[in-house]
Amino acid sequence: MEKVPLLSVENLNVEFSTPDGVVHAVNNVSFAVESGETLGIVGESGSGKSVTASSILKLNSGVTAKTQGAILFNGRDVLGADDKTIRSIRGSEIAMIFQDPLSALNPYYTIGNQIIEAYRVHHRDVKKSAARKIALEMLHRVGIPNPEARIDEYPHQFSGGMRQRIVIATALINSPKLLIADEPTTALDVTVQAQILDLMKDIQKENGMAIILITHDLGVVAETCDDVAVMYGGRIVEKATVNELFLTPTHPYSFGLLGAVRSLDNSARGELQTIAGSPPSLLHLPSGCSFLPRCGYAQQNLAQCSSVVPELEKVSPTESFSACHLRTEALISLKMKELA
Amino acid sequence: MTTFIARRILFALVLLAAVSLFTYLLFALLPTDPAALTCGKNCKPELIAANRVRLGYDKPIYEQYWQFIKGIFAGRTYGSGDIAFTCPAPSLGYSFNQHECVSTLIGKTFPVTAFLSLGAFILWMLLGVGTGTFAALHRGKWQDRLTSVVTSIGVSLPTFYVGLLVLFSVVIWLQWLPFPHYASPTENLHDFLTAMILPWITLAVLSAASYTRLTRNGVLEAMNEDFVRFGVAKGLKNRTVIRRYVLRAALIPIVTIAGLDFAALLGGAIVTESVFSLPGMGRLAIRSVTDSDLPVLVGTTLVAAVFIVMANTIVDIVYGVLDPRVRVK
Amino acid sequence: MKRRIIGLLGLALSASLIASACGSDSSSSTDTAVSNDTVATPGTDAGTPTTGGTIHILSQLEQITHLDPQRNYTGSDLAFVGSTMQRALTSYAYAPGSDGSKLVADLATDTGTPTEGGKVWSFTLRDGATYEDGSAVTCADIAYGVSRVFATDIIVDGPTYAITYLDIPKDADDNSVYPGPYTAKADQQALFDKAVACSEDGKTITFTLSRVVSDFNYTTTLLAFSPVPKAKDTGEKYDMAPVSSGPYKIKSYEPGKSLVLVRNENWSKASDPIRNAYADSFVYEFALDPAVIDERLIADAGDDQYAVSDGGLQPENLQTVFDDERFKDRRQDDYDPYVSFTAFNAKTVSCVEVRRAVYLGLDREALRTAGGGPYTGDFADGFIKPALADDYAPNKMPEGLNADGTPNVEAAKAALTEAKTKCPDVYAKATGEGLKFFHPDTPTWQKNISIWIESLKAVGIVIKPTAVEPSKYYPTVQSDETDYDIARGAWGPDWPNASTMIPELFLTTGGFNLTRNGDDPAYKQFETDTKAALAELDRSAQGTKWKALNQFLVDQLWSLPGTFLKAQDLWGSKVGNAYRWSSSGSFLFGELYVKQ
Repeated sequence: MEKVPLLSVENLNVEFSTPDGVVHAVNNVSFAVESGETLGIVGESGSGKSVTASSILKLNSGVTAKTQGAILFNGRDVLGADDKTIRSIRGSEIAMIFQDPLSALNPYYTIGNQIIEAYRVHHRDVKKSAARKIALEMLHRVGIPNPEARIDEYPHQFSGGMRQRIVIATALINSPKLLIADEPTTALDVTVQAQILDLMKDIQKENGMAIILITHDLGVVAETCDDVAVMYGGRIVEKATVNELFLTPTHPYSFGLLGAVRSLDNSARGELQTIAGSPPSLLHLPSGCSFLPRCGYAQQNLAQCSSVVPELEKVSPTESFSACHLRTEALISLKMKELA
Repeated sequence: MTTFIARRILFALVLLAAVSLFTYLLFALLPTDPAALTCGKNCKPELIAANRVRLGYDKPIYEQYWQFIKGIFAGRTYGSGDIAFTCPAPSLGYSFNQHECVSTLIGKTFPVTAFLSLGAFILWMLLGVGTGTFAALHRGKWQDRLTSVVTSIGVSLPTFYVGLLVLFSVVIWLQWLPFPHYASPTENLHDFLTAMILPWITLAVLSAASYTRLTRNGVLEAMNEDFVRFGVAKGLKNRTVIRRYVLRAALIPIVTIAGLDFAALLGGAIVTESVFSLPGMGRLAIRSVTDSDLPVLVGTTLVAAVFIVMANTIVDIVYGVLDPRVRVK
Repeated sequence: MKRRIIGLLGLALSASLIASACGSDSSSSTDTAVSNDTVATPGTDAGTPTTGGTIHILSQLEQITHLDPQRNYTGSDLAFVGSTMQRALTSYAYAPGSDGSKLVADLATDTGTPTEGGKVWSFTLRDGATYEDGSAVTCADIAYGVSRVFATDIIVDGPTYAITYLDIPKDADDNSVYPGPYTAKADQQALFDKAVACSEDGKTITFTLSRVVSDFNYTTTLLAFSPVPKAKDTGEKYDMAPVSSGPYKIKSYEPGKSLVLVRNENWSKASDPIRNAYADSFVYEFALDPAVIDERLIADAGDDQYAVSDGGLQPENLQTVFDDERFKDRRQDDYDPYVSFTAFNAKTVSCVEVRRAVYLGLDREALRTAGGGPYTGDFADGFIKPALADDYAPNKMPEGLNADGTPNVEAAKAALTEAKTKCPDVYAKATGEGLKFFHPDTPTWQKNISIWIESLKAVGIVIKPTAVEPSKYYPTVQSDETDYDIARGAWGPDWPNASTMIPELFLTTGGFNLTRNGDDPAYKQFETDTKAALAELDRSAQGTKWKALNQFLVDQLWSLPGTFLKAQDLWGSKVGNAYRWSSSGSFLFGELYVKQ
């Protein structure tokens, strides 16, 4: 019997209508996450990774978004759920934390107030005083020193790292099964980043929750994730385990991304390498492969690459999936030539 | 907090002294001759000169100002013998045009303006914030577009014509209400309400238009805040998020503007008071200007200034209460 | 901090800007000359007056300018206060048309007895006149009232004829040595008591004048000759609560809101030969926007059926009211007391041909149109309005003057050519450096002055305008130091006798002589004739003299007659007796009644 994943996203499409036209933010995205696992979603800004994450909690709705496809959480339909059901999932079973801890907390209420609120919205019968105890425990758990003294302070009285810990405490107060972390460390100092990632890993180990980590930082992915989905132009262009992605990337965009990371390692030699060109406009997606204008390998296959959108397909001999018209062998030989 | 308020009061006093001095100086520089204005039909130069003495405008401006300041603390007596009369401290002078102490005039007219302002203020805040929030929540839909059209018209309408139109249609043409005759609420509540309802509506509807815009933009801006999305992600109800997260953030800048607008109204809603014949301070001020009645002009300007200073202080305090980040320590 | 200081500056600035902008555009009326083309529609109505009800007076004013009788001077206020609360020695008949200029007795039993050729006047007092508290009006109260006029530091704005006429010595500066009752020492008071004396029995008051004043009994119609009980006098504050001697008294007075008059139960009709007091009460509603007043009168709903206005119709509503027959029984288009004129400085424009050339060449019709067309008034044919029936006769206007007010360039040029030989200096000035025209800096006059410049340019006359801040305009042109060649003005009689028009405007001692005509060769003759008219005790003989003088003035053209100004009124459909009282130019408010 096939195991049912905790979360599965199938053929997700998200569009926004704007005065300039329809923005195709997410196109045919599918992935799954198991309990206890961490899925990284990597991509440049505007690649659709945050929109994908928001869709899981239906946070895009209300404005001008149009979402299609299927999102199943524990076998339950999320996209089709009514307001009440989705509210009962939000914060309780699926929690989400955001990029900027400085702005994620409501500046007008004390942190205790906000954590207690997050708890009591799903535990109506718990008294404020009891919820306060739970909040204190949680603050302690995420490493806020002396929480009794600080629970009645306002967000602006905490440092950035502390605030992200408070955000995490708020997100985890109901022991969710899935935590969606949208760039949780981007705004933080490097040392603080590591602490926060460790904290998330520790908690995951304890309670076995799944994490979707959205980031543009491959270093973070390498440290934290089990699987990785690389997004480009609103699509997943490569999906693989961390090891596979780093050892044998199969999509030209992944080459570029990894190259950018490696060149950082080699920066002493002055070989800084970035991907030339800019990401595609989601308003006017090209008819073929959206990476084509920046792809260094497509010369031999220009006709196909410029007319047909490549599907995400399993790439032998690895376990990876890649959305590229050029098959792996051909790519490797081209890559070898380049290195030589 | 205490030192903050003390500093504020000190600042206010200095400012008021400056404002009064400035008004005196400005008045001295005006081309209008108050003595000529209050002199009757046979306005010969000798009569104007006599008039100037009677009104006290013959003295150098610094001496007039000194008398004024002295009067605030010691009161002022005018004339002598049986027909002498006193404007007791704090005296802002005596209006020879209106045969009344300035402080009495302000005391009579201020409550009218205060009631007018307060009622209109409450009404327009409810209306403006309500409609603005409604429009923001229906962003892009017909409700929003309708609101936007109505508010664009609203902000561009001149109070005078709207006031006249409201008065003409409701009172004169349709006769739904009697012609307003102001009475204080303790004196005659019915007359008070019938006199106030139209001015309240006129002022409120017009101001609400700009507050609708402010609120709509503020709410939309706030809805993009991370903490609002975080609130939604917590599983909070929409209503809770709007109330505790969105409005709280959106209203803070509005409070500042509202405070100053309210203070400006307290200084006198000149046009509304004129159209609806409300005996308020705005009309007092405007009359003092047309009459070149310096004591009343200075008095009303000072009272208006007091309100602006007070409103600023209150806004600052309220701001601190609303936003812990700027709380004064 | 910056924001709020700027806010305050703005406040003060805007206040001062308004102050200078709203200076006063009080007489924004136009200029210009002759014809009798419009027939007025008098607002008289048939029907028997009925008693009772409340008359509403809708007003733009914040309060009555002065209730204090000695400070009361403007036509409308005199009519309101005089017909309701303050009686004087004499008055005018309460009647429409020219009958309203007829002198009648009020507190006196007749219109006074002149002796010594009009230098001493005595009036016998009527019995039974009382104040609102029931106490009797005494001779001493009338004398005391008159004495208040001398307290020029407190009792301001009122007419000062008492000071001018009474036989009380003056000091070197021409100020009376009697300082009024508040500060007079015993010897000073004695001087007054000699000039204004009550008989032993208190039945007769006698005024001793410093010169012959043939129409002093007209002067005594002014409320400056109303009684004030000394014990109730509060000086400056008396203006807010004067004691009534008329059929009504103040019930409440709240400036900016209303003045409510109710019947004075102590007034008896038997003691008052002129007032009828039909209505039970009057409500003066203040501080109404003029647009609101007009709209209420047009709508004629509810209490507004019993309403009149003290301010006339707004120009923008004239069409509505006068083109619609619905309003025909409750509107009037009639003369007010004023005549507008343009005065020459006879010292600098000492050439009647040049003055005539200006008159002939000026586009008076354009000026009238700019001021509002025929509703502004009729081209004046002199300085006496037809309402002064005893003194008015049509004048013979200068040859070539177009009756329709349009310029006659040919005739004007001919006059100018005449001037070239007769008075080359003035001719050179008028056609060269130009004539300096001082005008008030009001929107109306900014328009008018360009009509002056343009129409006279066609004749060859140059006008050099100087705009004066409105509140300073009259003080400026009345000052001897101001070197204007032309100035404008308007004047109304203080009582229905040309004695308050012609001498005031053209004698060098007059109150409003802008012509500086003292050195003019024709002045001596004029002065002699005017003094003769002033001394004439026979009213109709006096009228004949004024008619001749009016013609003389049109021939001399020291001033160019402008417009016999008109005003238009509309009133509620249930108001009776709404006519313009010729002596005040306003309604006779106290006589208005509620139609059944």
